Amino acid sequence: MRERLSFYVKRESFLHHLNPLTKLTLAFGLVFAAFLSPWYWTPSFFVLFAIIPLSFIGKVQREYFGAALRLILPAAGFLFLMQSFFQPIGVKVIFKFWFLDITQESLMFAFTNASRIFVMVSSFTLFLLTTHPSELMSDLTRRGLPSQFAYVIISTIQIIPQMQAKAQTIIAAQRSRGLDTQGSFFNRIGALVPLVGPLVFGSLVEVEERAIAIEARGFTSTSIKTSLREIPDTRFDKMFRWFLILLVIAVIAARIWLS
Amino acid sequence: MIKIEIQDLHYTYPGGVEALRGISLTIKPGEQVAMVGQNGSGKTTLVKHLNGLLQPTSGSVLIGGWDTKKAAVAKLAARVGYVFQNPDEQLFSSTVGMEVAFGPHNLGYGDEKVSALVKDALALTELSDKTATNPYDLSATWRKMVALASIISMDTEIVIFDEPTTGQDALSVARIANIIAELRKRGKTVITITHDIDFCAENFERVIALSQGQVLLDGTANEVLGQENILAQTYVDPPQLTRLGKRLRLKETVRNQEEFLAALKKK
Repeated sequence: MRERLSFYVKRESFLHHLNPLTKLTLAFGLVFAAFLSPWYWTPSFFVLFAIIPLSFIGKVQREYFGAALRLILPAAGFLFLMQSFFQPIGVKVIFKFWFLDITQESLMFAFTNASRIFVMVSSFTLFLLTTHPSELMSDLTRRGLPSQFAYVIISTIQIIPQMQAKAQTIIAAQRSRGLDTQGSFFNRIGALVPLVGPLVFGSLVEVEERAIAIEARGFTSTSIKTSLREIPDTRFDKMFRWFLILLVIAVIAARIWLS
Repeated sequence: MIKIEIQDLHYTYPGGVEALRGISLTIKPGEQVAMVGQNGSGKTTLVKHLNGLLQPTSGSVLIGGWDTKKAAVAKLAARVGYVFQNPDEQLFSSTVGMEVAFGPHNLGYGDEKVSALVKDALALTELSDKTATNPYDLSATWRKMVALASIISMDTEIVIFDEPTTGQDALSVARIANIIAELRKRGKTVITITHDIDFCAENFERVIALSQGQVLLDGTANEVLGQENILAQTYVDPPQLTRLGKRLRLKETVRNQEEFLAALKKK
């Protein structure tokens, strides 16, 4: 089942059961390693041996490939073309088109950059597909993230679908009063006032009620809070996070050593 | 005079929920109908078909011969007025007067006719002294009245109220009952969704009970409210006096104090 406004796909998998922080570290780890690595093949290596296998482990391969083929690959491909044409580096011309030269160096540069972008978007896509936003927030709050900050993120995710539903009701109510929402451009612009007015008023009232409701449940209380849902953080999680941090350090070290 | 004809109406929401499962009804011009039934029984879904907000998945809805599949909502608005449950989802003008004039203006009536309709609707809802007030400065009770007035001013042959008495005090409920009585005198068709069974018993001649997207009972208020066991299927309790009448083994089903006393005297 897909939840609105979150990419999360609810499935039972090893990746889903990992601690949210571990998955976040994994996403950032892959991105940093791909960007800082001195070798051009590192990002492609990550795609083949980390990201694609992870999408199968997380049982989200269908969703991931859907996004990769429709969105990430075209974007990375576009970046590759632009950079290989317009990067004025290198002397070894491979291909000439009108006034544009493609050199071996610009080709390499473009390939590295495009594949880095591919890794970055892919690893965060995987992260979002397998992590529920409220699970991430409650885990981060437990680790010391201010709960106000978590509230802002979570309430935004929740409020938007509610506002959509409210907007639908308002449109229905005003159409019942003979408001013509179809037709010419000016018709539509004129129809906006009766729609936006109640939406904004209503939302302001709702924000206040929400604030009172959460305050009534001790939101700003400074005592230690317990969580209804315990999010497991296993020894494997901890070890895996250390491994990822070491990987990034190793990549940085390699870069310094090789330069 | 506009008649409502609903034939074998089925409706399935895009998510796959089958909300209406074969409803056939005829509502004659000038009838006062209450719709009762548990939450999710299809009451709101049904009335949203009457002004074309929803289109039948199969079957048809005719409003005075107009097929709601073909007529636009903005056009149907001239025949069917629909007061939504929450007034805050429709009020936007800076004064009560402008808010109430919005509907008739949309229907394309001339200024003179609009101001006459607005004056009448404000008088009927006892808002005449609040014409220049901002609706958001009024209490929730009076905002509800503004919402009622803004539909009454459209002078439609059919008026639909979705739970008009929810959250209203006794005075306001009496005011709404007066409005319905006045609309009846004017020969309007009134269809009201309600969970307030006393309000239903006291103000409506015909009662339709829905359950799981189908008509469970349809008849005069006394006929329907007398069927305690069948109404229980859709979680509707008959009014206390009706139930007391049954316990006292009165011959007729009673639904208000006058009927109850008359039946008691006969016994």
